[in-house]
Amino acid sequence: MSDELGTVAYVVLGLYLVLLLGLGFLGHLRGKATEEDFYLAGRGQGLWVTALTIMATYFSGFAMLTFPGWIYQWGIAPMLLALNLPVAGAAIFVIGNRVRKIGAARGFVTPADMVADYFGGSNPLRWLVAVVGMFYVIPYVIIQIKAGGHLAEGLFTGVDSIRLLGFELSIYDAGATALSVVTMIYVLVGGMRSVAWTDVIQGLLLLSAMVLSGYAVVTVMGGPAGFWQQVTTLPTDLLEVPEVPGRFNAWWMLGYCAFASLASIIHPGQWMRFYAARDARTLKQSAVVFATALPICTLFGVLLVGLGGRVLYPIDAGGNLPSILGSADQIAVVVIREHFPILFGMVGVWLVALILVAVMAAAMSSADSNLHALSAVITRDVYDRIAPGSSEKRKAWVGRIVIVVATLGALGISYWGDRNPDLGLLRTIGQFFLLAMAFSVQMLPLTVDILFLRRGTSTGAFCGLAAGLFTVFWFTPFPALILGTPAFEWTATVRAVADVGMVAVLVNTAVYATVSCFTRRSGSTKAEEYQRLLQD
Amino acid sequence: MTKIQKRRLSAGLTAIFLLALIMGPGPGNGLVRSPSGEGPAQLLGVPLLYAWTVFWFLVMASVVVTAAAYLWSDQDPPRK
Repeated sequence: MSDELGTVAYVVLGLYLVLLLGLGFLGHLRGKATEEDFYLAGRGQGLWVTALTIMATYFSGFAMLTFPGWIYQWGIAPMLLALNLPVAGAAIFVIGNRVRKIGAARGFVTPADMVADYFGGSNPLRWLVAVVGMFYVIPYVIIQIKAGGHLAEGLFTGVDSIRLLGFELSIYDAGATALSVVTMIYVLVGGMRSVAWTDVIQGLLLLSAMVLSGYAVVTVMGGPAGFWQQVTTLPTDLLEVPEVPGRFNAWWMLGYCAFASLASIIHPGQWMRFYAARDARTLKQSAVVFATALPICTLFGVLLVGLGGRVLYPIDAGGNLPSILGSADQIAVVVIREHFPILFGMVGVWLVALILVAVMAAAMSSADSNLHALSAVITRDVYDRIAPGSSEKRKAWVGRIVIVVATLGALGISYWGDRNPDLGLLRTIGQFFLLAMAFSVQMLPLTVDILFLRRGTSTGAFCGLAAGLFTVFWFTPFPALILGTPAFEWTATVRAVADVGMVAVLVNTAVYATVSCFTRRSGSTKAEEYQRLLQD
Repeated sequence: MTKIQKRRLSAGLTAIFLLALIMGPGPGNGLVRSPSGEGPAQLLGVPLLYAWTVFWFLVMASVVVTAAAYLWSDQDPPRK
């Protein structure tokens, strides 16, 4: 089986990577040499490109690896997290369309462009918003590259290393390198147009993989009746929501669905997709597709793999995973790899390779969007402030250099961290990654204020954002390292019942509102101007 | 649809959406927990919690579709 898959996997992966590079160059040929075109594809993206690029950016390897892994390990309860998708879907129009309208009228490219403009050109606030974006983007890129290495290990089982240009590379290194170099090339040459076009392919692959994997596990277990009959024999605690403070308790999930969904919709990569959308109709239809089709593919597709996997590959009484699984995250990969060829014969082998490539696609589609967004944030929000008046050509080069440096840096960290596990570098980045959404959602109070309320002041926005970031920082490993673990035991208690992002947003909002009450607005002109722009 | 009707529909849909959040992933799902000692609650052979999740998804998706059909304007001001 491994040998059969090995040959097919090389062919499918090769074709997929060539297709991505082709789309990258096609994007380059269709593009114009302007900053707006490189970052926003001329603000003309239509329905399917917008819907699929938003979706592909939203879903990382999380959709096919972590999420089914949680269900395999913890039962049905994490399935309720799929209800964050309609929340995000609604936000695509409610928030996204307002962002698009203002962005199109004022020529904005990054989130900080809008925030700084609204608050009278405040540079400290712009930089703080840029830092929020970077806190989200950088760990995301590193973790997706790392995921590429692990997926290559799953795709080429039995292959330990390959020789490339005279170098002996482990299969992990080869996978991480292939993912990052190909991603870097198509982002570099085609900008947003190439990123969005490749996202269409990656999004379609991912959706197919989600549906097919659910179909496979239900079929293997004797159809829907057999599937549910066997699932209902699982222990009761796997089929109910645990009480507080159990993992995936109702209060924690409520906070996650309400806030993490919005965090994943207002980070720089998604924000730029709103700017790039052609019109309101595009975002409206994208919102409906997102809120309906994605949960269907999730609830009736890939999440069933976690449940069925628990029946097919039981965890023993001591909590030990079966030997076929290195970690719970691999459940979807194992179910697909072991059962597709039996179900579908040689077609199944091709499907296995295609689906494993789709999982890699999910990682690449998040990595590309975040690399592209990072380039925009550093060029527009940092370089442009340090060197105002630079030509468009110069800024385009700076943006491309950022993409190269960020990719190579992330790849280097991935190599180095993998070879030196004792240093805990990747573990620390992983912990930051888990808090990435908590950092990102700190943009919510000031975004809501700019788009809907228009009451806050620049000082209030800065203090609120800083307070939110500071609150999330207490949940990172650093304070405990500096001040000792006992002083931070309370963070574990808070984490058990509440989403960290939600807690920090409450602090952020309170500080924002209070400081805004006691500070003066620079004038009401901007508020009136934005109100006019947002009127239908 | 008049402005007042739109406002009422908007308030109603917002309330239903929030209710779905509380009843689905939120503490409302405690209503489908079976009494201790009994096996997991089921509906037509499917674990009740799964059916509950699907039901509240359908509610949330219906709210989004209704809002898109009746409330969300896709009229853009002409580009300059």
